[in-house]
Amino acid sequence: MIANRQSLPRLCIVSGGGEHADMKGSALRQASALGHSGAVMYQLREKGLLGGRLYELACRLKPLLARSGSLLQINDRADIAQASGADGVHLPESSCPAVTIRKAFPLLLAGQSVHSVRAAREAEKSGIHYLLFGPVFPTPSKERFGPPQGLENLEKVCRTVSIPVYALGGVTPERALACIECGAWGVAALAPFLDAGSLPVTVESYRSYLPT
Amino acid sequence: MNLPRRFICVITDEQCSPVELAGMALDGGARMVQLRRKGASGRELFEWAVRVQELCHRHEAIFIVNDRVDIALAMNADGVHLGQEDLPVAAAREILGPDAVIGVSVSCVEEARKAHDDGASYIGLGHIFPTSSKEKSSPPLGTTAIETVSKAVDLPVVAIGGIGPVNAAGVIRAGASGIAVISAVTGAANPVMATRELVRTIWQ
Repeated sequence: MIANRQSLPRLCIVSGGGEHADMKGSALRQASALGHSGAVMYQLREKGLLGGRLYELACRLKPLLARSGSLLQINDRADIAQASGADGVHLPESSCPAVTIRKAFPLLLAGQSVHSVRAAREAEKSGIHYLLFGPVFPTPSKERFGPPQGLENLEKVCRTVSIPVYALGGVTPERALACIECGAWGVAALAPFLDAGSLPVTVESYRSYLPT
Repeated sequence: MNLPRRFICVITDEQCSPVELAGMALDGGARMVQLRRKGASGRELFEWAVRVQELCHRHEAIFIVNDRVDIALAMNADGVHLGQEDLPVAAAREILGPDAVIGVSVSCVEEARKAHDDGASYIGLGHIFPTSSKEKSSPPLGTTAIETVSKAVDLPVVAIGGIGPVNAAGVIRAGASGIAVISAVTGAANPVMATRELVRTIWQ
């Protein structure tokens, strides 16, 4: 069942991306640390993992995340999302065309990363349910996407589309409110959540700036 | 979907244009094309797949995608080819349905039996001979493995690894239905002729 706009969590946690290397077990530690806290969207983004291990990891994450009512989104791979019982797929901008994925996997909640107003409009037209837009603020991990887009472009995107937009890229808890004021539905981040030990506190800190 | 009784399957490599290679192999008589390009983005794969699939349709050949079940389904490709470390076969079968061609790479009877039980349509067995197409950590299996596996498992065997015009006949004699090639075609001065010669050899 596809979550409607009102039921999408306000906070999106993106996995560390190092499951194939020095961060093995990180995603499970994060999901465990979430415990029974409020719902988040957890995006498993592990480009270094082969399909089999990604599938196994997704299968193990799903019940852990379900305890908090959190959603599990699989980056890029709709097949693995569907096979593992995850909630949906998160498409990078360079993915297989969104419209074909929506048609082939109609039951998956489908998000997409976009870096321009044009791409945002196109994604919405393709039937994408929510967007990640960024980088809004400077961040070392997103340098390849060029200079920060700033709050102005975030606002433009949020005004252009009617689907929920998550602001991504250097969004600290303190900056989350400004993103919401620009029309973002929520915020997404990777680095602040890498330390599973402090994850519950970090989540709470974000929540204090986000609408309920 | 039924596989041809004997056939050449060409697998795209990491260098050549998949579309160009597929076109030449199909002109040479290949009956199956597997689109494989590790590290390509979903969009790149999709764009190649559209064009390779069109060529396959024109030649009434089978078109399958390596690893990416999502792209195979989105494309309505004939099927996928899965390695031992890819999405489990049963999960792929569930997504693609009963008619899809699902090939599975195996290197021993146990893996072949499991592939059969999980719903594979054929098994890719290799590598049979020494090959430069991939870095291999294990020794080549030789044609005796084809005999062993094709007797043990009731699935078509597609042999792969170092197979060319010189040894193709022996591979078929050992019980393989198909031969999958990369460098025998991509590395040939004339890929159309190279494929044609392989096709002639397996039917002799």
